[in-house]
Amino acid sequence: MEGVTILRKLVIKSFHINNVEFGNKTAIKGNNCIIDCQKIIELENSEDLIKRINIDIIKPGDYDKYVNTIMDIIPISAKVLGSIGEGITHTLTGVYVMLTGVDADGRQMGEFGSSEGILKEQMFFDRAGTPSKNDYIIHFDVTLKGGLPFSRELPLAAHRACDRFIGEYRKILKQKDGRESSEVHEYFDKVRHGKKKVLIIKQVAGQGANYDNFILPNEPSGIMGGRSIIDMGNVPIIISPNEYRDGAIRAMT
Amino acid sequence: MGIGPSTKETTLHHFRDPLLEVVSNDQDIDLLGVLVVGTPQGNMEKHYVGKRAAVWAEVMRADGVIISSDGWGNSHVDYANTIEEIGKRNIPLVGITFNGIQGKFVVTNEYMDTIVDINKSKEGIETEVVGENNVNELDCKKALAFLKLKMRGERK
Repeated sequence: MEGVTILRKLVIKSFHINNVEFGNKTAIKGNNCIIDCQKIIELENSEDLIKRINIDIIKPGDYDKYVNTIMDIIPISAKVLGSIGEGITHTLTGVYVMLTGVDADGRQMGEFGSSEGILKEQMFFDRAGTPSKNDYIIHFDVTLKGGLPFSRELPLAAHRACDRFIGEYRKILKQKDGRESSEVHEYFDKVRHGKKKVLIIKQVAGQGANYDNFILPNEPSGIMGGRSIIDMGNVPIIISPNEYRDGAIRAMT
Repeated sequence: MGIGPSTKETTLHHFRDPLLEVVSNDQDIDLLGVLVVGTPQGNMEKHYVGKRAAVWAEVMRADGVIISSDGWGNSHVDYANTIEEIGKRNIPLVGITFNGIQGKFVVTNEYMDTIVDINKSKEGIETEVVGENNVNELDCKKALAFLKLKMRGERK
């Protein structure tokens, strides 16, 4: 048998951002992304293990600054219709969140080598996993409480607070009119009958602390609703191509 | 050793993973899906999850497997074991991982004959630069080309 069977469709609509600034209200106005300064205190208070959060806007090319170890780079995306892997997702382009972390004693939240230092020396731009040199970076820096044993709870608290921050933009993205998007991409889960059947296996970290991955969160690239690969005993879990490209994995590494 | 800064795959990497794009866009390939497997602490568990991954590939009747590893060193124990389990089932496979001059496999087997090394630093080492030794499109194209050759040769 030849031909193609379409199983499912995923539409990702992107909204391009070309300016990020601080303001009094979380907002996306045209191509401007506005960060609410007042929200930071609320985020600090949302986690017992967090001592301080500092949010900084890094303009394209403005990389001559010290950063704590880079825990993750996260896209800002929200499910508008359906669940992960199908329906419609809205995402921002031109801006990504960079989560960095340290504790009050100065311990970097990184294992097997940390990446603190001057940003331009610590990041290789333009890779799939890193922003391009034209992108804005929202730098979300978390200082965790000191004197505690290095456990999964510390980086997890930082990731959760950062996810709440992104959650404010998700609410806005969900209300965005898709016709205003700058790009629309359609993806299909499909069977190509008679072609060689190939399986991709992604071996990911699952041993603790910064060595974890959350699978299938409620929102693309989110935390809430996701299950830790450690808690699932590291056993293989199958994800459809569309689920995977719709943010089914949140890397805690 | 585990995942160093230069090899770690960030959430953004998974969101726009070149491996998925390269394989899913190839008209000659029927992509089954993405199997995510973790790396447990103990050896018993490592063998357990690796074998489960291989059984998945077998029951899906996969003609070929591309296996990529986020992390190296200790993670290569899991990696080698999963590859062996898949290889024993006569399923052609290609690996993608960091080797450089540092990431020499701690254990090897006869099925680890086609591995794409993602090292990109001049020194051949895991650096502390985020994204430096990440999988890119060229690595994935190489891996898929190798797999196509293997699938042609080893089956039917």
